[in-house]
Amino acid sequence: MSMQGKDPENFTIGQNDANGETDCVTDVGTPLIKADGVTYSYRNGEQVSRGVTDVSLSINRGEFVVILGRNGSGKSTLAKLLNGFLVPDEGIVTVRGIDTADDDKIFEVRSVVGMVFQNPDNQMVASVIESDVAFGPENLGVPREEIEERITDALETVGMEKYRKGSPNKLSGGQKQRIAIAAILAMRPEVVILDESTAMLDPKGRREIMDTVLKLKREKGMAVVLITHYMDEAIAADRIHIMNDGGIIASGSPAEVFGNEDAVRRAGLELPVAAKISLDLKKAGLDIGFALTDEELAEEICALK
Amino acid sequence: MKDISLGQFYPADSFTHKMDPRAKLVLVIAFIVMAFLAKNFLSYFAVLICVVSATLVSRIPIMKVLKSIKAIIFILVFTGILNLLFYNGETVLWQWWRIKISVEGIIFSVKMVLRLVLLVMGTTLLTYTTTPTAITDGMESLMKPLKYIKVPVHDIAVIMSIALRFIPIISEEVDKIMMAQKARGAAFDNGGLLKRAKALLPVLIPLFVSAFRRAEELALALDARCYNATPNRTRYKVMKFTWRDLVGLLGTAAFIVLVVALNNNFWGAYASPASVWWLFSV
Ligand SMILES: Nc1ncnc2c1ncn2[C@@H]1O[C@H](COP(=O)(O)OP(=O)(O)OP(=O)(O)O)[C@@H](O)[C@H]1O
Ligand SMILES: [Mg+2]
Repeated sequence: MSMQGKDPENFTIGQNDANGETDCVTDVGTPLIKADGVTYSYRNGEQVSRGVTDVSLSINRGEFVVILGRNGSGKSTLAKLLNGFLVPDEGIVTVRGIDTADDDKIFEVRSVVGMVFQNPDNQMVASVIESDVAFGPENLGVPREEIEERITDALETVGMEKYRKGSPNKLSGGQKQRIAIAAILAMRPEVVILDESTAMLDPKGRREIMDTVLKLKREKGMAVVLITHYMDEAIAADRIHIMNDGGIIASGSPAEVFGNEDAVRRAGLELPVAAKISLDLKKAGLDIGFALTDEELAEEICALK
Repeated sequence: MKDISLGQFYPADSFTHKMDPRAKLVLVIAFIVMAFLAKNFLSYFAVLICVVSATLVSRIPIMKVLKSIKAIIFILVFTGILNLLFYNGETVLWQWWRIKISVEGIIFSVKMVLRLVLLVMGTTLLTYTTTPTAITDGMESLMKPLKYIKVPVHDIAVIMSIALRFIPIISEEVDKIMMAQKARGAAFDNGGLLKRAKALLPVLIPLFVSAFRRAEELALALDARCYNATPNRTRYKVMKFTWRDLVGLLGTAAFIVLVVALNNNFWGAYASPASVWWLFSV
């Protein structure tokens, strides 16, 4: 991807193609997003409240990362630091090597790091679905024919192509949230951050979003950062970070992190049922391995004796 | 239930529905001018023919159009009576104190009411055949030249689009809050005006709180979608000026010419009107 300087006349961003491939070879292998010793506090006049303190993490290409933590633990603050909504007080965040504090390149950062929020109703700007999806690419100055293509592609990815000409008003929560995801996908980002995007949905809607997220990772090779407090959504993650009091208290694969009883308890999280049972059985003296899903638990139990 | 974000839009597959919203906006303005140009009953009749033929071409049921007139019936009656009683005419038929009914007064108030009816018929034709979104797009495009005097045309268009998007959301929310307050024993439809206004307070406060929360998230969502990233923003939707729009414009222009001609009795083509003509040419 080429940035022709800061000249607004030649401002072309978000032009990398669907597979998250870019013509920029130099930063392959290096993390897409890298946060290093990041601290941020909210200041309202005299009042200062802690957002996050000394957080470091990296998001690689094609990786599915889940961030867990209780209310007020700093998850949203971290998310906003990752796409340049907030600029760290201390430390540095880079997106494909670009410092998010660099005002001239902020839109490049935001077109690479897409963000989906909690309430789908508050993310839509138009009364016709295709116009809403077109809004991002229009803002980036993408040529008309390509916008057409991107809309089709984005809506097909989230499985909402047949609603294209319709209005978002009568859709279910899950469907609306899929439109919100499509609206971000149309900007062709390389990573999508979903900040509690499943929190307002019913189980069916949550399932739809999780399926979409996994599809993005598998079929589009996109990185996804899912912020949630449903632990069952974290089972399929490549990596989990648990946040508490503005810091990351545990990181690793699902098995590693869920096995870290101390961190899970400190963060006030509820383990998936299978994990809880397997841990309890182990504590009760059985020789049983750690299980994340119901199937794994069944296998572990069958393997007993 | 009808989708209220569509407003009055009446879906149909007609000549007018397929027209460019910009052309329709221009036509509506031309039509308003035409209605104000009309002076005598003949030219009013020409304007009426213009509206009726436009309605037929748009395949809008005549009942729909009449319904929109019903909506302003109070204004019509009010204007009619006021003009009838207080017009300062020569040929007085009946007088009492300041109130005076004259032949000129009757003619004037009939014309006034007729003009209002024609205006409503013409302008609602726009909202019947064009979605609010298309109207917004058309306005943005027509106002584009104002960019050069630093009017933020695009921002205004985005604001209108968002407003349209949020009308149904907010109205749904009002229903929900009212329901919740009713469940707690609030009464919205009895008591005096003041009491009823007071009862609305517990609805308005949560509504405002939620509206501000929405606005905050919406602002972030706009930023996340790179709003204002480049001055060279592109448009996905393109509006096309077609033969339909040309026909519409020429037709309306012809009617305007006709109205002006009728106003002036075709510049003396029938200098001494017969008694029937007199009625029409007042
Ligand atoms: N705009 C703000 N102004 C002041 N303080 C804030 C602001 N936003 C967040 N905070 C504070 O920062 C801390 C972290 O908040 P953050 O929103 O990041 O938490 P979270 O993990 O996303 O919580 P939730 O699950 O409720 O979304 C909280 O203590 C909160 O009070
Ligand atoms: Mg949050």
